[in-house]
Amino acid sequence: MGERMGSREILAVRDIVKVFGAVRAVDGISFTVRRGTITGLLGRNGAGKTTTIRMITGIFMPDSGEIRWLGGEHGGAFQDRIAYLPEERGLYKQMKIIEHLLFLAEIKGCRGSDLRKKIDYWLDRFELGAKRNAKVEELSKGNQQKIQLIGTLLHDPDLIILDEPQSGLDPVNMVLVRNLLQELRQEGKTILLSTHMMGEAERMADEIILIHRGKVVLDGTLEEVRASFGKNTLHLDFEGDGSFLETLPQVKRATVLSNTAELALAEGADPQQILEASMSRLRIRRFEVAAPSLESIFIEKVGTETLSQQEEAAQP
Amino acid sequence: MNKMIAVLKREYLQAVRKKMFIIMTFAFPFLMGAMITLPGLMVSRGLGTKRIAVLDGTGSLRDAFNRPNEQPKKDAKDEARAALSGRRQMEIPSELDIEYVDQQNIADVQQAADPYLKSLRAEGKNAHYDGVLVIPRDAMTSDDAKLTYYSRSATDLVTQERLGRLANKVIQRHRLAANGINIETVEKLTTDVPVESVQISRSGEQKKGGDMNFMLAFVFAALLLLPSFIYGNDIMRGIVQEKTERVVEVLISSMKPFELLTGKILGVASVGLTQISVWIAMLAIAGAYGVAAASMAGINVAQFLRPIVFVYFFVFFILAYLTYVCVYAIAGAISNSEKEAQQFVAPISLVMMAPWFMMFPIIMNPDSKLAVAFSLMPVFGPITMFVRTLVSEPPLWHIAVSIAVSLVTIGVFFWTTGKIFRVGILSYGKRPTIPELWRWMKVA
Repeated sequence: MGERMGSREILAVRDIVKVFGAVRAVDGISFTVRRGTITGLLGRNGAGKTTTIRMITGIFMPDSGEIRWLGGEHGGAFQDRIAYLPEERGLYKQMKIIEHLLFLAEIKGCRGSDLRKKIDYWLDRFELGAKRNAKVEELSKGNQQKIQLIGTLLHDPDLIILDEPQSGLDPVNMVLVRNLLQELRQEGKTILLSTHMMGEAERMADEIILIHRGKVVLDGTLEEVRASFGKNTLHLDFEGDGSFLETLPQVKRATVLSNTAELALAEGADPQQILEASMSRLRIRRFEVAAPSLESIFIEKVGTETLSQQEEAAQP
Repeated sequence: MNKMIAVLKREYLQAVRKKMFIIMTFAFPFLMGAMITLPGLMVSRGLGTKRIAVLDGTGSLRDAFNRPNEQPKKDAKDEARAALSGRRQMEIPSELDIEYVDQQNIADVQQAADPYLKSLRAEGKNAHYDGVLVIPRDAMTSDDAKLTYYSRSATDLVTQERLGRLANKVIQRHRLAANGINIETVEKLTTDVPVESVQISRSGEQKKGGDMNFMLAFVFAALLLLPSFIYGNDIMRGIVQEKTERVVEVLISSMKPFELLTGKILGVASVGLTQISVWIAMLAIAGAYGVAAASMAGINVAQFLRPIVFVYFFVFFILAYLTYVCVYAIAGAISNSEKEAQQFVAPISLVMMAPWFMMFPIIMNPDSKLAVAFSLMPVFGPITMFVRTLVSEPPLWHIAVSIAVSLVTIGVFFWTTGKIFRVGILSYGKRPTIPELWRWMKVA
């Protein structure tokens, strides 16, 4: 995908492999990340997302393959130009928040008088200004996550790598993070976002890379990916018992919830027939024929394996 | 480099601000002082007093037990020397409170002792006596006579020996007198001739009062060794904590593992040096008193604590510390919990402490083959060599070789630790086996 926009690439991953014992956690993954985009790295638990990210951040060396940093705007060492929020969050519990943030900036080679101002700005923005002298352990888990997120931004990185940044956040904080990421993108930052929350990826990502069992199974811009699956999906909002929808002959696969359903249509099926069948039994509030949701695409691509296969693919 | 300093700064500030550090730094010397002075204090307050009943079948030993707590006379010089060498501690007397019972006219002394022995078995308020000494009627005359000491603890050898000494002295006098020998003449002729120890240094200088060196060597060896183990443990705990609290990924994605390792080790080393400096300063203040006492006793303390000794102390402290700490860093990096790390490090630290267990022969004979070999060996070198410089004057080339061996050892340890650290610090789950460790070193 990156070829047509080569000049705008910030990171190129070529055919990287990482083997743990008998498990090929990452098995020849290639992709590029374009500057100023939010790229979603999607996949199930154990697909190889975190291992891929750890190789990009320099924690692991790939067994083979190549990761090329194509330079940020500021120059400087790669490790200092990226930010990394690991999936397993962690801070020194005994440290004061202000000192911890200073430390996180210092290990990215960042210091100076602006730094404290910057910290104050971010703490105020996340409504944590009053707690700057509190110890980390005195904060709630959500607030600790916000502190860690602030810590990744202080050195003004070019590429921000976030591994499941929204896991464990309440809906308000989720929106807060979502808005923050959009804002950072508008400022020209590049964001690589690993997640298994398809809804969030759909809302935020410009491009997606779907990884399964250590391999890329799908990549491209969100529009490209969705368009390639065609307008073969029926989105339905309703009142009543919609469980019969799964059994209709025109439906290939269905996700029916208590008041909404997404139906993948069988070849040559007419949506009108489904509408007719539904009207007598449900109160219809929305009826739309559109491209499938990312979740459907995800499930169609990778979701049909048995549990044992899933475990096999899991990381050591 | 800046990142390494950031880590160093963090480790140092976090450690020295801890309450435990402040308490340990300032209270430890007092604790040590208390441990030395407390037993004496307890005795003088009567806490160590023992009530002894002496049942004397001869009826003529009353004088012997009149003043049981009197020490043999020493002059001031002996006294000061004993105090400084720490020898007094070994012979701390417990106060004896003796009840003398004249049983000259009792036919069977053993039988008469029964009520006293009963009291010995009793508990609480009825336990009137801690010991009973029975002297048979024929103690003066029979060659087979035996004194019997009854006590509750079989290990009360000190009291037993003291009572025996008191009784025997008088019994011997009686026996001599009975054979027509002048007692004063005998005493005069059999007094011990004291031995004074003089150390001849390489420069031909003569030093007296070498027994003091013995204690000093132990104190300094402990000062050298203890912090290495205490702070080694701290580093180990810190690394395990970074793993369990998941801070480590952020650190490793921001710097080289080697920078992280070096920063941590040097940070904690600075903590150790800070603490030791405070201790030595406090020791110096307390020592001023000791030096005054010593000079009164005619000992020039400066002859043992040459300034170069302090230089050696810092050199060998740093060498010992850097050697030991690597082992702890590895233990931390490959373990998932503190308990696991402790299990790994416990047998190794026992081996590393070998010179401490050999301290007595090393101090007694600092130029023996054993001491020389230990002082030139990796790992055991720093502490053994330091003790040798303290109690003897080893040839300079020994010192140079020892330092060189230690530097190479530290280099190898650092390299190995860096390799294992890199893989280990990110691996959760089962602790690796030795072959796995070997693979890590090759992979990293």
